Amino acid sequence: MSARRGGRGGRGRTGAGIRGPHSALTDFLASHNISARDIRDSAAQRIAQAEQLTAQEASEAAANGDSVPQDEENVEEEEEEADVQEESSAMAASRSRKRKRDQEEAIAKIKKGKAAKKKAPKKKQKGGSDVDDSDFDVMDMYKKAKKLPGQLENCELCDKRFTVTPYSKAGPDGGLLCTPCGKEMVKEAKMAEKAAKPVQRKGRRKLESNRLDGLITHGAKTLQTLCIETLAKHADDIEELGEMPEPIVNRLSEIFSKKRAMTSNTMKLFVQPDMDAVAIHEAAYLETEDFDQIFAVNPNIKKLALRNCCQFKDQNLDYMIEKAQHIEDIQLLGANLVSNDKWLDLFVARGPALKSFKVEWLDAAFDDQAVEALTTFCPNLARLKLERCKRIGTDSIDAIARLEHLEHLTLRFCTEIPRDRLVHMIACTGANLRTLCLENFLDGTADPADDMLDTIHSTCRKLQKLRFTENNEVSDAGFVNLFHGWSNPPLRYIDVNSTRDLDNANPDGPEEYPVGLASNGFTAMMAHSGAKLEFLDISSCRHISYEAFAAAFDGVKVYACLREINLSFCPVVTTEVVAGIFRSCPSIQKVVTFGCFEVREVEVPRGIVLIGAPKAQDAIEQFGDTVFDFQRLDGAGGFGSAGFVGGRVVPVAG
Amino acid sequence: MSDQKLTEYVTLVSSDGFEFKILRSAACIAGAIKKALDPTYGFREGEQNSVTFASINGVVLEKVCEYLYYNQKHAKSKEVPDMEIPPELCLELLIAADYLDV
Repeated sequence: MSARRGGRGGRGRTGAGIRGPHSALTDFLASHNISARDIRDSAAQRIAQAEQLTAQEASEAAANGDSVPQDEENVEEEEEEADVQEESSAMAASRSRKRKRDQEEAIAKIKKGKAAKKKAPKKKQKGGSDVDDSDFDVMDMYKKAKKLPGQLENCELCDKRFTVTPYSKAGPDGGLLCTPCGKEMVKEAKMAEKAAKPVQRKGRRKLESNRLDGLITHGAKTLQTLCIETLAKHADDIEELGEMPEPIVNRLSEIFSKKRAMTSNTMKLFVQPDMDAVAIHEAAYLETEDFDQIFAVNPNIKKLALRNCCQFKDQNLDYMIEKAQHIEDIQLLGANLVSNDKWLDLFVARGPALKSFKVEWLDAAFDDQAVEALTTFCPNLARLKLERCKRIGTDSIDAIARLEHLEHLTLRFCTEIPRDRLVHMIACTGANLRTLCLENFLDGTADPADDMLDTIHSTCRKLQKLRFTENNEVSDAGFVNLFHGWSNPPLRYIDVNSTRDLDNANPDGPEEYPVGLASNGFTAMMAHSGAKLEFLDISSCRHISYEAFAAAFDGVKVYACLREINLSFCPVVTTEVVAGIFRSCPSIQKVVTFGCFEVREVEVPRGIVLIGAPKAQDAIEQFGDTVFDFQRLDGAGGFGSAGFVGGRVVPVAG
Repeated sequence: MSDQKLTEYVTLVSSDGFEFKILRSAACIAGAIKKALDPTYGFREGEQNSVTFASINGVVLEKVCEYLYYNQKHAKSKEVPDMEIPPELCLELLIAADYLDV
């Protein structure tokens, strides 16, 4: 709308006289002898005439019983239109225009309504044989006014009769919808909106999650990964995997498990008669009968790994004992429905053939007696893992000490064990061990002492992986003794997280006599194992000093194999230390620094991921993009392969 | 490096006789193809600049070529959109990918 000027504002105008509000356009047209009012009125007239015409036509048609052919009607229409136009122009000059228009409109409306009413029943009588007519009918329906709240109406979609409310939704063709249909439509609309909107957000969230899982992605995924992920998406449609290499089958199994797609149906894909191993990493959806299937289909199975096999029962173990005569590697996680006696049966049946036995999260059965039976009947065990089994204690430790062929030992008990029994066990089995994991072994009764570390020092000669965690009863001096002059070759994997003092009043621990891995122990450890070390976890080792870190990662010493390091909750770690790690460890891929508040504004080299720097401005983890000088020297540019898998389930993208 | 001998494009031939001429740089993303074409090994494939796959059919090989270019295009970028893989091709493609080492 053009800007209006008040009457008084027109002081400067040439045209004299007092007038109401005027637009600039009106003034302009008036100066050219054109009256805006005339234009408006004649337009209104034309509209009124058109309405009148249709009304006439309708009444005519009603009178003729609609038998007038279409052509004739058209001709008539045209003639009439011309007549009326002439007439009206004359009338317009003589009469008060506005009144006439109103009248005409009112008349037209009434006529039209009458005509429509007359017409409708006639149409029905004719039975809708005339195509043109039925079209007309639809048009009329279309013009019908919408029902008001409280009135009844037929739903546009389902045709049900319903009471219109102010909340009734409009249908796709302009009609009204009943409440269920309306809800359905709103839901659909929301779904469509959802599908359209969050693609970007989801992608970002997934990316962050992948980063925290340590999945470093530069460039495109490999074709194998893409295929496997697509396969996992269509889990239910696969009928058979066919001749697939075993590593790929295992990877698929991992992804299916992660996505909780491992059901009775999909499980069959992974149980094939010619395979040595069956590994189902998430068996919570499997039923008791499904476990029997494994041994029925594949009686030659050598290795069985079932995690979260809640429905694995005595009868399954019976069937396994009967069918799978070659099994030598058993891993069961959470098999709480197996009774103690059945475990004994298994050990008696497999006897010396059993090479590897891993159980975790058992609390209903599996007590010391079972462990004793295990060590008595299965003396050839090379690999043993007992974690979080609530009913075993000191007697089990003594029993394990009798296993002479152990190479890999992982223990995490839920009870306190006298340290002298552990020392005895390490002394008996230590010489052959390649893996030793002792988590959370506290005595609680005796005074803190380092005899466990000393025993490891004096007996273990073949260790590659050492995990000794959650312990506040060993001292820094103990770690110095362990690593100093140890005739064991350098370790590949060290996890000593949470070996620190637990006195809240004195967070730095005793100064004279540091508890857990502290500066000297750390220095001795890096001196002993630095050359071959691939994985290091020293999170929560709070007593390591800044100087020790700075000296170890000074950018001159090189730890050629180190790929992953976790420094979380070591408060002294600074930006300089992290930068030093980047320079000292050419193969590093992942640095974890949760709770290291001195780490800020690090420029992360390409191919490395830094996770958890709390002061980082934009993201909790940072992806390296810069190619540093020291990386150029290598030529490789730090493009490490992302898939380092050490026998455990790796995070799965997606 | 005898650059004049290395052609810019190489030919990949499927089991049913389809030939795909693609950039050497893209083809060499696949470990198996890279080794086959490496002149230092002196395989016939390297001399003819052409590799024939008896176990991969044309449809799958076409998808492989598409992937190789997709990989090359996104080599430097982060947050790469996943390539669409038709589910019915997935298993065959997976076996081919395992064979080709991509």
